[in-house]
Amino acid sequence: MQRRSILKAAVIGTIALGTGISVPAVAQDKKFTIALIPGLTTDAFYITMHKGAQAAADALGVELMFQGAPEFNPTLQVPVLDAVIARNPDAILIAPTDTNQLIEPLRKAHDAGIPIITVDTFIGNGQYQTGGGEADFPLAYIASDNILGGRMAARALGEAIGGEGKVYVSNVKPGISTTDQREEGFKLEMKEKYPNIEVLETQFNQNDANNAASQLQAMFARNSDLKGVFGANLFSALGAANGVQQAGQSGNIKVVAFDAPKSIVDNINSGLVDVAIAQHPAEIGYFGVVSAFAHLTGQSIPTLIGTGFTVIDKSNVSDPEIAKYVYSD
Amino acid sequence: MSSTEDVQKTGPQAAPRDHVAPPADHSERAKTLVQRIADLRAWLFLAALVLAFEIWARYDFDGTFILNPYNLQSIAIFAVAPLLLASGQTFVIISGGIDLSLGFIMGLAAVVAAHVVNWTTPSLGMPLAVLAGALAGVAIAGVPGLINGLLVARLRVPPFIGTLGMFGVARGVAFLLAGGTVVPVQGNSFFSTLGNGRFHGVPYIVIVTIVFVLLMHYLLTQTRFGQHNYAIGANVQAARRAGINIKSHLTRLYVLSGICAGLAGVLYSARFNAGAAQAGEPLLLDSVAAVVIGGASLFGGSGTIFGTVAGALVIAVIQYGLVFINVEPFWQFISVGVVIIISVLIDQAQRRFSGGRVDE
Repeated sequence: MQRRSILKAAVIGTIALGTGISVPAVAQDKKFTIALIPGLTTDAFYITMHKGAQAAADALGVELMFQGAPEFNPTLQVPVLDAVIARNPDAILIAPTDTNQLIEPLRKAHDAGIPIITVDTFIGNGQYQTGGGEADFPLAYIASDNILGGRMAARALGEAIGGEGKVYVSNVKPGISTTDQREEGFKLEMKEKYPNIEVLETQFNQNDANNAASQLQAMFARNSDLKGVFGANLFSALGAANGVQQAGQSGNIKVVAFDAPKSIVDNINSGLVDVAIAQHPAEIGYFGVVSAFAHLTGQSIPTLIGTGFTVIDKSNVSDPEIAKYVYSD
Repeated sequence: MSSTEDVQKTGPQAAPRDHVAPPADHSERAKTLVQRIADLRAWLFLAALVLAFEIWARYDFDGTFILNPYNLQSIAIFAVAPLLLASGQTFVIISGGIDLSLGFIMGLAAVVAAHVVNWTTPSLGMPLAVLAGALAGVAIAGVPGLINGLLVARLRVPPFIGTLGMFGVARGVAFLLAGGTVVPVQGNSFFSTLGNGRFHGVPYIVIVTIVFVLLMHYLLTQTRFGQHNYAIGANVQAARRAGINIKSHLTRLYVLSGICAGLAGVLYSARFNAGAAQAGEPLLLDSVAAVVIGGASLFGGSGTIFGTVAGALVIAVIQYGLVFINVEPFWQFISVGVVIIISVLIDQAQRRFSGGRVDE
């Protein structure tokens, strides 16, 4: 199990101090309403984030609104954001679906005096409160470092295939900050640490497992020495794993999945997926609410909080310490 | 409008005995040479594509495309879900309608099948639980189909709008039932075996699909239901005057279309051992594309199941083949788009030749 908690300990300390003092007084004066707008509502990652946020909200006596669009798409997310702004919540936590297109819509909230914290994804370059740039107005960015996650996937796959052979990335579609970063991190790590591994052309499946499976089969038909695949999100990984099974190559072609909903964990148990890189979405939601609350009660908060990853494979999948990182439904 | 003889010739057994005359419009045109070539165009397209990939494979890396059974198997598996959706869509498009809700009906069926298998496995055992799950998945898919049918047939909602509404409803219900995420099938390895196993090298799901598509072909060409479908699509007024019960036909039609999507959903959850509400979302447009490439007209009145089979295979071969020959991924979108446009152009040209309706 590998974890990254560089800032976390410090953050917990700060926040615990702030909240511990202010909860009783504030709870009597006013009940804060905090809105959480996920990248999409139909995804175990954000559902788990919601649960973490709800846990923090319950603990702090905060009202939590959870509203979002069914697809990861700025055109669908902006109207949801506008509706939430109209409700005038005390703070907004949002996973922006585009680094540029969400800047102006979020500025409206900022101009209305609503503090903004971005979770999972960011606007601009993700560096806030710097006094420079168009998009530095959010207070904080709370997320896993997806480039690091991609690097961890590369390490897991590199070790699994013994440091040589051909691999490729099965990805959703270009233009999503998180999955782009996973691919970027994966390719960087492969280039720097595994010179004998050849990374083939990335295949985009439009979030269609059937397509991802067919792509795996075609890649294998063309590259009989294919050794591994990195599925950069749930359907990419589910599809690639099924492609390996259909090709009769279970065990020969290793599958590393990003994210750990139950269906991926089942596939680890049955041997179709070798490794899953689990993010900690519940932590992201939890720290999002706690940070917003700290800000609303006059405490200072860090501009960047990095949550960690857990590497899940067959050896640790049944460990209860690991099971808590499996995304809930 | 004319005699019944033309129509009865469409099948060797001429199954319908007491059917009424659809307008001759469709059947007369069906005999022209242009129409025959147009009917075959999807298969010609497919042959040309396969040939192109074969030449590329030989020239570029001294391999083979079509002679490799592994490739055939992979393409067949890939084509299963789009083809099942497209076979229902063929019926709907021939009737002059369109079903936009198929993708999420498939997702709904996949989620329900996964849930029912999970619930019933402890009490019924694996094989019976799979049967229960499959029946439940297909049956639930009939519900949005029935509502589509009632909307279109009784309340005269245009199919495009009615099924678009059902697209949203089925999607919402599917995600609600799935809790917003993917429902893994647990403790029933039999289901996954059916989804991924093979009989003499042919995947079970491909066999199921072939049998089902043959049944659909029979239904369209050899039964009164199929002939009424052509008649309504060619000229709904004439069909009504000829005594066809349009309301009842359209209701059954959309139920049938829903059931096709339901079967696709059940096979999806068997194959991936999980039900996903968004399983069919990317397939809806592929299903329409397969029907159009297969030679059906969006104006209604023409189209065949075998044409649609070719259309679905064209899409599958393009997408698989371009990965196989290692072309930049974005060319896949462009090539499928180009094939659709060419198909529609052929359809328009053929209508001009034969004096049919042309959309000006």
